[in-house]
Amino acid sequence: MSRGVSLQEGQLLARSLNVTKSTRQVIATVAAAVAANAAAAIQLTGLIGQISLLVLIFVTLSVGTSAISSDIYARSGQTIANLRSIGASSRSLSSAVFFSVIGYGVAGSALGAGIGAALGIAMGGQGGAVTIMVTVLGVILASSAAAAAGVYAGVRRTWRS
Amino acid sequence: MAQLGILQRNEAQAQGRYSVEVKHVSKSYGETEIYTDLHFQLLKGTFVALVGPIGSGKTTMLNMFAGLDRPTSGTILVMGQDITKMSEDALGEFRARTVGLVPQVQTLLPELTVRENVELPLFFAKVDSEDRRKKVDYVLEKVGIRGEARRAVSTLSVGEKQMVSFARGLVNDPPILLLDEPTEALDPLMAEVILGLLRGDNLTLGRTIFVTTHDKRVTELARKTLRVKKRIP
Repeated sequence: MSRGVSLQEGQLLARSLNVTKSTRQVIATVAAAVAANAAAAIQLTGLIGQISLLVLIFVTLSVGTSAISSDIYARSGQTIANLRSIGASSRSLSSAVFFSVIGYGVAGSALGAGIGAALGIAMGGQGGAVTIMVTVLGVILASSAAAAAGVYAGVRRTWRS
Repeated sequence: MAQLGILQRNEAQAQGRYSVEVKHVSKSYGETEIYTDLHFQLLKGTFVALVGPIGSGKTTMLNMFAGLDRPTSGTILVMGQDITKMSEDALGEFRARTVGLVPQVQTLLPELTVRENVELPLFFAKVDSEDRRKKVDYVLEKVGIRGEARRAVSTLSVGEKQMVSFARGLVNDPPILLLDEPTEALDPLMAEVILGLLRGDNLTLGRTIFVTTHDKRVTELARKTLRVKKRIP
C-alpha cells in the first residue's frame, strides 16, 4: 500500500472512532511534560546521558501513545468492525489516529522542549545557542517518532486481538 | 446447490470467468456444522438469491464471500482472488475495490453525515477527492437521497438508513454486490427503488449480485435461486 489516509480522511475516521479533544490534550500534555524534563536535563549531562535521555523519551512516549491508541480502538470495537466491512485496513486506521493526534503531540513536544531548554539554561546548563537548538530539535523528533511508533503499535496489537 | 453449480459451470465455460468460485468449503462454529463440502461457481454478471429459514447460515455465506468470515476448510475465489489466503489488511483492500456490501444490520456511522458515510469506502480505495465528490453525488442521486446528503445519519429513519447503506455499497462501482435482506426494513416504495436499481445494475452494468432474502419480489427478479434447507440446530 502506498499510503494510509490523508489528513482530511484521518480527521473523518478519527471522529468515527471518538478521538476527542480530551484525548488529544492528554497526548499534548504528556509530550510536553516529558520533553520539558528531557530538554532541561540534556543540558546538564554529557553525550552518553543525552543519548540515554533521548532513548528514554522515545520509550516513554511510545508506550504511552500505544496505550492511548489501544484504548481508542478497544472502545470502538463495533465501529472498527463496520469500517473493516467497507475496506478499512489496520494501516488506514492507524494513519487516521496518527494524523488526528500528531499535531497535538508535536505542539506539546515543542512547547515542552522550549520550556525545558529555558529551564536548563537557568539551571546553569552548558552549551551555546546552536547546541540548545539541536537539543530542542532532537527532543521534538524523538517525541514525534515515539508518538508515531506508539500509535501504530497500539493499533496493530488491538487489530490482531 | 451442486445442480446449480453444474448449470453455472456450463455457462461459464463460454465466458471463461466466474465471479465467485466455492471449492469444497466447509464451515463450522465449534461443534456446529453450518456447511459441509460446498462446491459451486457463480458466473460473472449473474443475479443470485439465497433463500432459507432464519438461522440457516445465509449471512455466514455472504460474510465468507466478503472475507469477513473464513471457511473452516476449502477455498473461495472472488473475482479470481483467493480470499481464504489473504491477510486481514489484504482483505481490507480487496473489500475496498472488489465488493460492495449492504449488510442487514445497520453499520453506518451515526456521528457522520450521509455524504461522509457514503464517501468512506472511497477513502479506503484511495480515490482522489475530485473523483470522490463526483462518485458520491452520482450514487446519492441514483438512490434518490441526494437531498439528505448533509443530514446526520442518526436523524434518519430505518428505511432511509438502508438506502444510505445501499448507496455506500454501490459507490465504488464494485464488480460484485452482496446484500443481506436488503428490502426487509423498507416501505414498498423504497423497496421498489432498490429492486429497480438492482435489476438495472445487473442488466446494464453486468454487476454480479448475490442477495440473501425472504422477499418473493427479490427471488422473482433473480436469475438463479439457491436454497438452504435446514435450520442450524
